[in-house]
Amino acid sequence: MGGAFGDILARAKAGDEAAFGCIFRDVQPTLLRYLRVIAPDPEDVAGETWVQVVAGLDGFRGDEQAFRAWLFTIARHRAADGGRSRARRPTVPLELSGSAEQPVSADTADLALEAVSLRAVLKLVASLPPDQAEVIMLRVVAGLESADVARIVGKTPGAVRVAAHRGLRRLAELAPRAGVTQ
Amino acid sequence: MSGPDAMHDEMPGFFPGRPGGERDEPLLDMIFDRRPLPPGAPPEIHDLARMLAVVAGPAEPEELAGEASALAAFTRLASPVGISPAALRPARRWLSGRPARAKLPLAAALVTAAAGLGSIAAAYVDVLPGPIQKVAHVTVGAPLPESGRPQGPPAVTNVQASATHALGNSSAQPTPSVARTSIPSSANHQQSRPEQSGRPASGAPTCTPRPSPPPTQAKPRPSPSPLVPGAPGWNPRSPGAPGCLGIPAKNAVPRTTR
Repeated sequence: MGGAFGDILARAKAGDEAAFGCIFRDVQPTLLRYLRVIAPDPEDVAGETWVQVVAGLDGFRGDEQAFRAWLFTIARHRAADGGRSRARRPTVPLELSGSAEQPVSADTADLALEAVSLRAVLKLVASLPPDQAEVIMLRVVAGLESADVARIVGKTPGAVRVAAHRGLRRLAELAPRAGVTQ
Repeated sequence: MSGPDAMHDEMPGFFPGRPGGERDEPLLDMIFDRRPLPPGAPPEIHDLARMLAVVAGPAEPEELAGEASALAAFTRLASPVGISPAALRPARRWLSGRPARAKLPLAAALVTAAAGLGSIAAAYVDVLPGPIQKVAHVTVGAPLPESGRPQGPPAVTNVQASATHALGNSSAQPTPSVARTSIPSSANHQQSRPEQSGRPASGAPTCTPRPSPPPTQAKPRPSPSPLVPGAPGWNPRSPGAPGCLGIPAKNAVPRTTR
């Protein structure tokens, strides 16, 4: 949203449904992708997250980056709450299988991009150690800075950076084996 | 960087375990910062960047499927008077687009409660079948059924005992009931229910309000209940009536909308 975020947020606080729709469309895809990696019921957690965002929207102060950090912090807490409530129930494996075995054409970057399935990549990221997967999703997908990610996951920025690098290296190792890349 | 593969040569160990494996960090930071990679970067890093670009790519249609529900919830919840926890619970379900798992038990409980209240109300207006009305007479102090109503002074009789037995509570003490107090005569009872001849034999309760009995038929109760016809706050439509579960429409809490 860039520089328009402040205006859009102000309108959403005033109850402008269209403005809230802009924020929702901008954030919801990344929120769902993040939750698909860290939670078995991403849709439920996303719904709870948005409800809490709406409830606290009037009191929020900050720019777009701060808003994203705030929203993903809420999402992480809601996912943790869901995890605690699921502790007594059997877990459901993350089902993200799909086109991981799709043939890949590496002639051009565009063709390669098309061949890489979003679901396959999410499945691959979810196979990483949880701390690495979460850091990668927050850094790459949510677009948060290391300092914000560190605050969200309760680690130092240095630890976040190390986990992110390890996660990326592991992804690069796994991707050819999983058929996500050549 | 003397050629296309210079950077690859400079960082021969992209993967852990390879010599110089830590020197890929600047490239990895470039991926995180979404900066373009140099052409000489290893192909593995280019693959990695493409893969992560997919994850950070534009929304897929199904990812925005909940937008309408989210906007509806926003309109409902974004109220100047604030948001109550009770309003948040259903909104979470609307946003998630999934059926509430706890709705079925709740609905069953409401139906049971409504049926119970309806039965009590029906007993008080004496529309139940005779045996059931006798049981209600003993247990909740409802009037005796017309056919079993004594003409003379009332007394605790075998009706009470049989009703207690029928409830499987043979050890229960006799319930203080209308039989110990004043029971109107049969004539008065008939007079108080002019529509009785036209009522259905099944005695099914309806939402139609019945007139309150005259004061002479008022039966003393230890604790007045709003479920008692004629009692303060009694809503003749509420017990057991669909959509009338004790909250008159005019008293219903209005939804906050913009």
